Amino acid sequence: MRLVLTVNGTTHELDAPPSASLLSVLRDDLGLTGTRFGCGSGQCGACYVIADGRAVASCLMPARQAADRDITTIEGLAKSETLHPVQAAFIAEDAMQCGYCTSGMIISAAALLARDAAPDEAAIRDALAGNLCRCGVYGRAIRAVRRAADPEGGRGEAPAMST
Amino acid sequence: MNLEERIRIEPDGSVTAFSGKIEFGQGIRTAFAQLVANELDVPVERVRVVLGDTAQVPFDFGTFGSNSVAQEAPALRLAAAFARRSLIGRAAARLGVPATRLDTRDGTIGDGDGKRVSYADLVREAPLAGAVPEDEPLLPPDRWRLIGRPLSRVEARDIVTGRARYTADVRVDGLARGAIARPPARGAHATRVDDGAARAMPGVITVVHDGDIVGVVAEREEQARAAADVLEIDWETPKHVPSETQVVPLREDAGTDAALASAALTRSATYTLPSIASASIGPSAAVVDVRPDGATVYAGTHRPFGLRDAVAGSVGLPKESVRVMPQMSSGTYGRSSAPDVSVEAAVLSKHARRPVLVQWSRAEEFAYSPSRPEAVLEVTAGLDASGQLVAWRYDEHTNVHTAAGPDPRVAAMTSGRNAVPPYVIPSAQVVLHVEPTPLRTANFRSLAAAENVFAIESFVDELAHASKQDPLAFRLRHVEDPRLRRVMERVAEVSGYGKKLPALRGHGFACTLYHGTYVAQVAEVEVASSGAVRVLRVWCVVDPGLVINPDGVRNQVEGGIQQSASWTLLEELRHKGGRVATTSWDTYPIATFRDAPESIAVLVEGDASAPSTGVGEPGAVPTSAAIANAVFAACGARVRDVPLTRERVRTAMAAGAS
Repeated sequence: MRLVLTVNGTTHELDAPPSASLLSVLRDDLGLTGTRFGCGSGQCGACYVIADGRAVASCLMPARQAADRDITTIEGLAKSETLHPVQAAFIAEDAMQCGYCTSGMIISAAALLARDAAPDEAAIRDALAGNLCRCGVYGRAIRAVRRAADPEGGRGEAPAMST
Repeated sequence: MNLEERIRIEPDGSVTAFSGKIEFGQGIRTAFAQLVANELDVPVERVRVVLGDTAQVPFDFGTFGSNSVAQEAPALRLAAAFARRSLIGRAAARLGVPATRLDTRDGTIGDGDGKRVSYADLVREAPLAGAVPEDEPLLPPDRWRLIGRPLSRVEARDIVTGRARYTADVRVDGLARGAIARPPARGAHATRVDDGAARAMPGVITVVHDGDIVGVVAEREEQARAAADVLEIDWETPKHVPSETQVVPLREDAGTDAALASAALTRSATYTLPSIASASIGPSAAVVDVRPDGATVYAGTHRPFGLRDAVAGSVGLPKESVRVMPQMSSGTYGRSSAPDVSVEAAVLSKHARRPVLVQWSRAEEFAYSPSRPEAVLEVTAGLDASGQLVAWRYDEHTNVHTAAGPDPRVAAMTSGRNAVPPYVIPSAQVVLHVEPTPLRTANFRSLAAAENVFAIESFVDELAHASKQDPLAFRLRHVEDPRLRRVMERVAEVSGYGKKLPALRGHGFACTLYHGTYVAQVAEVEVASSGAVRVLRVWCVVDPGLVINPDGVRNQVEGGIQQSASWTLLEELRHKGGRVATTSWDTYPIATFRDAPESIAVLVEGDASAPSTGVGEPGAVPTSAAIANAVFAACGARVRDVPLTRERVRTAMAAGAS
């Protein structure tokens, strides 16, 4: 079926099977592979995108339902070379290991900070509770979200940025 | 070792380094870049590290055992040092200045009087090459700019922007998608495949039945899966023939039975750990392009050269014609030592004559991946009247811990890993029993060390309490190694181990020496009256020898502790008759953001005079015992069975109170 999708501010027209998920269209039709496949049932958070301001599992959303929403993927967070504060904070805290779950975590955190500029730790844990990480960077990711919310906040020495 | 196998100075003056090891998030690409940049005196951004590309890197057996830095750091440093000295030699000839008056700075070489030449200029006519002397002098520590400096990983910007390409993100021209029809039981053969309906479905390119592999290739993944679902297949399941139990003595001192019989105090206990899943967030994936004259394999793998040979064999190509190009990979913690998904993609590609991407579903990943074996650990020990250990008997019952299957030559170092305690014991018998299992098992983070150290460190804690000794003091009186003593004493100091805590809170201690890395941990837990355990804080002191990237070490050890806390409290792969029953995150939950401890404080205190050792696994090894010992300290419940579910803790609380 013919679909019109608005992703990261750009409108795309494409053909996809009626059963296609938003995730599959992002990855296979639009080449936006930064949104990862993890479980296909909305349980791990690897495929989160922002739809009308909320972090949602793109594996559960039929692509046709996404047609009338404003979709932001991990590729759309940075403004050209200027990283979103959450992205910069994840680098500063080295809040990643393999990085497979990182896109989803950053999407959840960006959606959180858009609705609550100064979340406490419990709010951060709740907002990211749907993002599973097997490497175990939860503590660093919490620190990164706090850093993004409060870049001037007092904290210990962070590693040098290597990028 | 020839320089050109390890280091290449590019025409633009940048540096390329080569290693057969694989990055799964351990941070080795960053550590290798730091080492090479340090030795060659260039900014780290100028170093590109090629990992595991079989067409470019020297042979490597595999990325196992937290061995990457231990094995590769010396080789890469030597090669880089030789490259630097070779460049200085060329600069001397070019500038007409004796080499002794020249020095490197930021990718250039000069004499201090204004004569200067860049690395790029020095390799323009001929690349560097030659045998690297084994005694090549290294840059002295007072010249180091990067070793010992915290650095966030070199892939970080690509990861946070989504530009990072993992295996399932590879998009080569003509890429098709594959899906596999799974047999009802492991080892079953398809005797008849009726593919009429499948072939008529939209997007289907071909249906493949080749050996034990039955699958569909289609233009889109949804189409491949839909068609695979309608295949009608008759399966024949051969009778399962269990492997024989291997009995491997690991330590056989004389007089253990007699010493146990005459000990002033003896104790026995049995500990159990279940099968657990590697539970990678990214399910297994491979893109394989099989052509008549060769194949290209894009995959995450612990063994690029082993995978090359396996793929070559599966499609009947000479191994030299197959190139494995490892991609960024979701952490798989050992699971990707099996070639399975790449072989499936190769066979489908061969028949479809298209490059094929196969990515397993979440259910396939749980049900068909190899898992960590279960273990039953039986231990008896005797103390003399002064409370000193005099005898130790330990029987480890477990399964094969590698993807390669039973192999008596490696059983002791794999299934028997860390079964011999790091304590001074006059007489000990340690015996490994590698028993059959209907499950597919393979390498998993630290192999059997996590199981053995859970049993040993729990039991040492029990012995201390039974003989009315402080658990740390009891350990220390049996430890001679000064580096182990130091991490133990330091973690006690920073955690306040032994101080009074509120009711139902406790501190637990555990330590290990794993492949040369010293680790000691204290966990603080809170136990609810329901039996639910919450890990509040963990302190860890780690000594991995000379530290290349202190924050990289911290990150690995924190992650190991977090993952191990998840194993300890939550994880059990349930199965029956060889079939895995827990095939979703609902039935196989792992720790979430809500479960993460308030803090995991890792102090990296490496002995800089000792060689660098690995940190990918050791942080995970003592955590289960530290948590179980903390639960005992908190509420008197001794739980010897992992996971420490609330039912088990509640039952043990009742037993402890009576």
